[in-house]
Amino acid sequence: MSGRGVRLGLGLVAGALMLVALYMVFVYVPTEADQGIVQRIFYFHVPCAWVAFVSFALVAIAGIFYLWLGQQVWDDLGYAAAETGMVFCTLVLVTGSIWAKPIWGAWWTWDSRLTTTLILWLLYGGYLMLRAMAGDSEQGARFGAVVGIVAAIDVPIVIVSVRLWRTIHPAVLVTRQGGHGLEDPRMVATLLVSLAAFTALFIWLLCLRFVTLRMHTRLNALTRSLALAEAAAQDT
Amino acid sequence: MTAALIETRVLGKSFGPTPILRDVNLSVEAGHGAAVVGANGAGKSTLIRLLAGLSAPSLGAAMLFGEPARSLRPELRRRVGLLSHQSFLYPNLTARENLEFYATLYGVDDARATAIEWLERVALGAVADSRVHGFSRGMEQRLALARAMLVRPDVLMLDEPFAALDADGAALATELVRDAMDRGCAVLASAHSASALAELGFAILTLSRGRLVRAEPSTTRSAARPPLARQQVS
Amino acid sequence: MSPFSAVLRKDLLLEVRGGQSTVALGALSLLVLVVLVFAFNPGGGEQGAEAAAGALWVALVFSGMLGATRAVSAENENGCMRALLMSPLDRAALYAAKLAAAFIFMGIAEAASIILMVLFFNLEFDARVMRLVPAVLLGALGFAALATLLAAISSRLRGGDLVLPLLAVPMFVPALIAGVKASAAALAGAPLAGSAVWLKVLVAFDVMFVAAGYLLFEYVAGEE
Repeated sequence: MSGRGVRLGLGLVAGALMLVALYMVFVYVPTEADQGIVQRIFYFHVPCAWVAFVSFALVAIAGIFYLWLGQQVWDDLGYAAAETGMVFCTLVLVTGSIWAKPIWGAWWTWDSRLTTTLILWLLYGGYLMLRAMAGDSEQGARFGAVVGIVAAIDVPIVIVSVRLWRTIHPAVLVTRQGGHGLEDPRMVATLLVSLAAFTALFIWLLCLRFVTLRMHTRLNALTRSLALAEAAAQDT
Repeated sequence: MTAALIETRVLGKSFGPTPILRDVNLSVEAGHGAAVVGANGAGKSTLIRLLAGLSAPSLGAAMLFGEPARSLRPELRRRVGLLSHQSFLYPNLTARENLEFYATLYGVDDARATAIEWLERVALGAVADSRVHGFSRGMEQRLALARAMLVRPDVLMLDEPFAALDADGAALATELVRDAMDRGCAVLASAHSASALAELGFAILTLSRGRLVRAEPSTTRSAARPPLARQQVS
Repeated sequence: MSPFSAVLRKDLLLEVRGGQSTVALGALSLLVLVVLVFAFNPGGGEQGAEAAAGALWVALVFSGMLGATRAVSAENENGCMRALLMSPLDRAALYAAKLAAAFIFMGIAEAASIILMVLFFNLEFDARVMRLVPAVLLGALGFAALATLLAAISSRLRGGDLVLPLLAVPMFVPALIAGVKASAAALAGAPLAGSAVWLKVLVAFDVMFVAAGYLLFEYVAGEE
């Protein structure tokens, strides 16, 4: 099974799941009582958040392996995860903002989950800025790994402290018992499908980015060998 | 057969695509010295940095005491000295405080006494309690020399050691290096020209565009000594 | 004397000798507080206490960034950092020494900030101010731990002085939240026990970041 075949397959799977999810979000699931049509954005907002946090963990894990084993492939994975995760993290903030305006009348609310996501976004941004500044070097990879690890251990404390700081994330939906508020089983199904679709999309984009970085690494190695060969030829 | 204290094997270093060092093979045994000469940009400083463990090789190995220089154990790092055009001195500390600090860092037994002894040795006893930022360049270099030598290194690396020394300083440096080599220290020095170092009995290695292109064995070490620094030139 | 003590003693000696770090940190804190007073024009009472607590922590963050940068770049002159890296000094011990120095400088600056805060925000020098101290010390330690590690990175990059605030601020948020809450409570007259949860957050933060710095510093301390 060739790499290209795998990527194509992943793309098709992601595409198919996304189509199903879109259908379910816009056609299948019933409109929620309190918030109206806008509430449907929830089915995009939550999966993006899930992906953003998972990707962040991936950056840290890749960082640990890079520092431990010293193999460039781990750094390529971490960097790809950071870039891809950043996209989804931005989407969380954007969808959150779009959702907030009609419901709570403001473009931004400092509720605990959005705040935590904002911090995550800033950490991602810092990581990417650091990598851009350090350039294509072993030092950049090392610094990135360290920052990724430190940021990841920071996130749990951020979650706890922000939650203590703010009272409750405004209840997702009107509920009788105060659970996560999804009464209708169709809503649960839609959320799960959307989650699967976004996860597949994330994996596909991550693979694309990862492969590009691997090619870049190989290109660098080849350029170096070429330079060495040229220098050797000039010696004679 | 004495194991080489300083050794490189097929050592290469590239910054990005640009090769700075290529296929460098050298070894220096205890009591011997090698001088690496070449024009600016030939790669001398990079070679020293790789052997000092400050930078990692792109290819091959840079070794001290038979171990990779980059990950040298603390017990071995204690036995390595570096003299560079940077003085490694704190301008706002006195000469004595600088030496005492490094002596303590290197676990020298009586830091106080050692500092005083070396200050005398480099003729800076009179200014022991003056701050370094008031020193002339020559005085600073002599103090830097004391700093490098007081730990009694078994491996000594000199990065253009005579560049800033005046005549007295150069004579002092030559004497100290000779004493160290008599003690069994292995020395690797980089310089623009070989004259002063040839006098010390160093083997001369010429580095050009990152490769060792010529090697002249030492001529002045006495017959009692075992074979000299070996080097391969491809 | 252990190498750690030698490095710390050297840093403190250099500071006493005319390093200007503590003065610079104190001055920066003063300026930050002045700006905030004009920005927020606080009244007295509850609102004043909250504003004062917030201002104190803003000053802590800004002076902390300066302090850590200085503690690390003090070794740049004459290539001393290289000499330290080549010496038998354990990298983690080097981190601990730099952290301790940064913490001490910050502590002195914080003491000055607290005094200025009382003056500028029309508070009293009483037990309430004393109850601030644990949170401030914990916060300073956490920030010093974080910033010393990040400063080692930013000092090695061209144009890297943006990296330190960019990363330090979001990472510090949990301690900032906890610290401001605990400080505001203290200034409002609440007993320390009431802020227990915030102090626990600060302690957890400190433990994690000191440990992380201790373990990871060797990976940022080398050269290219």
